[in-house]
Amino acid sequence: MSLRVLLVEDDRELRRTLREALLVEGYEVLTAASLSEGLAMVTHGTGSPSLTGAPTIDIVLLDLGLPDGDGQSLLEQLRRQQALPVLIISARQAEGQKISLLDAGADDYLVKPFSVGELLARIRVALRHRGTTVHAAITHYQRASLEVDLPAQRVRRDGAAVHLTPTEFKLLARLVRSAGQVVTHRQLLADVWGAEFTEHTHYLRLYMGQLRAKLEAEPADPVLLLTEPGVGYRLAEPAL
Amino acid sequence: MDTLSNSPRAKSRAALPATHFWPATLAWALGWAAMLALDGAVDLANLAMILVLSSAVASLWLPAWASATAGLVAVLAFNWVFVPPRGTFSVDLHQHALLLGAMVLVNAILATLTGALRGQAQHANRQAFWAERTRSWGDTLRDAAEPLPHVGQLQEALAQASGLPVALLVLKSRLPAGNDSEQAVFVGEPDDDQRAGLWACLRQGKAMGPGTARHHELADLYVPLRGRGSSWGAAVFGGVSHALQANDWQVHAQVLCDQMGQALQRGVTAKDEQQARELAQTQSVRNALLAAISHDYRTPLATIMGAASSLDEQAERLNAEQRRRLARSIVEEVAQLSRMTDNTLQLARLDAPQVALRCDWESAEELLGSALANARKRDPQRRVRGRLEPGLPLLWCDAMLMSQLLDNLVDNALKYSAPDSPIEILMRRQGAQVILAVRDRGAGIAPAWRERIFEVFQRGADPVDTNGQSAQAARPGAGVGLAVCRAIARAHGGELKLRARGHGGCSFECSLPVKEPPPEPPEATEAPETPENLDTRLPP
Repeated sequence: MSLRVLLVEDDRELRRTLREALLVEGYEVLTAASLSEGLAMVTHGTGSPSLTGAPTIDIVLLDLGLPDGDGQSLLEQLRRQQALPVLIISARQAEGQKISLLDAGADDYLVKPFSVGELLARIRVALRHRGTTVHAAITHYQRASLEVDLPAQRVRRDGAAVHLTPTEFKLLARLVRSAGQVVTHRQLLADVWGAEFTEHTHYLRLYMGQLRAKLEAEPADPVLLLTEPGVGYRLAEPAL
Repeated sequence: MDTLSNSPRAKSRAALPATHFWPATLAWALGWAAMLALDGAVDLANLAMILVLSSAVASLWLPAWASATAGLVAVLAFNWVFVPPRGTFSVDLHQHALLLGAMVLVNAILATLTGALRGQAQHANRQAFWAERTRSWGDTLRDAAEPLPHVGQLQEALAQASGLPVALLVLKSRLPAGNDSEQAVFVGEPDDDQRAGLWACLRQGKAMGPGTARHHELADLYVPLRGRGSSWGAAVFGGVSHALQANDWQVHAQVLCDQMGQALQRGVTAKDEQQARELAQTQSVRNALLAAISHDYRTPLATIMGAASSLDEQAERLNAEQRRRLARSIVEEVAQLSRMTDNTLQLARLDAPQVALRCDWESAEELLGSALANARKRDPQRRVRGRLEPGLPLLWCDAMLMSQLLDNLVDNALKYSAPDSPIEILMRRQGAQVILAVRDRGAGIAPAWRERIFEVFQRGADPVDTNGQSAQAARPGAGVGLAVCRAIARAHGGELKLRARGHGGCSFECSLPVKEPPPEPPEATEAPETPENLDTRLPP
């Protein structure tokens, strides 16, 4: 059974282009031109298919700046129902809105204009994380010379064990659990230090610097612990 | 302002002493003492001379009426005491009558003359005082950038000059349509009637109240603060009496008020001029942006149009490799257009007043890392290298903007230097600043252009080119990029400068001020963990 994508985008041309690109990749695509239309599809589409007769949706691509709202309501609705992955598509001007949606639980974002390659990569990562609350979360990570085994609390680089402080390990573990996806500053601070530390971005700068020094070959030119300026951090997508 | 608050009396340097009764009384007393003492020793004519002398001396301190009265009384007393038959007012000799008559006349003339002299002196004093006050008030207003704060001094000066309670209404800018108190400043404590009167006086631009041609039944005098052609406020003098009406202070008060009115008008005119200049500047920035859009956007659009229409119309005659190349060029040109759009929008945003930056503590290492990651997309040969001085402090900046700045500078360096020459992003500390530099080994930029390249839509001209051909043609769209870089640096309280390098090439250096770093996390220097403490801290 192919995976179903709900694309909420008001621009007709972009909607058609993305739809075709996704169809070529073997996804099934539902489209909505407004928030209310998207909301209706989600409400009828995510419930049990046997009850509503509507198709199940596997991932939502949500454009910001829709004519009838800011996407927050749709995201809330989705979060209430189930852990459905949501990718934000934003223009560069919508920075604040994008970050607040990521903080509220959206999975990742793309800035217009983006390539189909980027979009497919983000969808792949998001789908891999789908259902992390139900199924076993990602607990192993491997890419380049880095190997992380969360249950065993083991970090290896080039096969040699790396000693991390407890805070460094907690930070790395949080990134591993969302490997390939952006994790906002607030989310990292809240999960590693606690909700009262969400404004202490400088903690992150310090510990990320320490992690890069221990895990990257060239800390100033990282390939694993990537910075998303003004948004957060992203651990590079694990090697398959 | 000291001179303005001095009273006329203190300022006066009179030819005559001011009016005092005690020196006059003393002069008379001495005169009478002398006459009584000399009575019998000298004849009556000499005694009379002493009386005339006393009268003359006393008149120096007396107003004319008092001087004349005192003289008359003295002559009568003289007649009673000294003129035979003594103890009566009768005069028995004609020559004594003549003497007494002459004394009365001389006294009267003296009193009148000194009185007139005193009046003139007082008038001159008052004029001098007002002239001085007007001059110093004019100085105050001329030196003041903003006349409004000095309105309290005007009120003080007017109150002192008139001895009446004074209230003022002063407009903040142009005359509003209605009597809107928000648009004006009130000084003093005008009651509601006075407020209405002040507005009326301001709107009509003419004085009203007692002593004027208009509404002389009013108890208060209203004087407008007149500028050229319009009024900018009004003053009210509470309860003007008839005695005060005769005085010429009203004329001078009007002069002070008009000075204020003119100063207010100058202020508003200067503000209008400033606004017009800013508008013209905005207009020129907008024109430059439009010129840039029309020029810089056409080239990539033409490429996209060419490639896309070729794919559209000739697809079946193109081989796979050709199709891929066309598609590739569309993708590249779109990336270029997108960057230019970001830059243009950012420039317009930073140009607006009160730009809100999203500043946070950022690490130089991360800024460098993301700049390198972005550069890789346009730099497959990896010409761009990073170099970071160890131990740089955190920077208080807007990460998106700094990242845009570095991307633009790298983009610029890639475009303007030879395809195989190295480019370096260098971050180091210099005193109280951190320098983010992007350095290339390109052809460099002629000294004449080193400032102009930061202006919107200037492009580096041809002068420096090793190949002898114009480098211009190969350098599209540098103008917006560098202009927005400088705007970003300045929005952070820093600066972006171009420095020529010793062995050729450019170094674009952005300096950012270093701020007091935030406190470090409490466990920043914790010891390496042992498996035991790791267990207790990890979530299950």
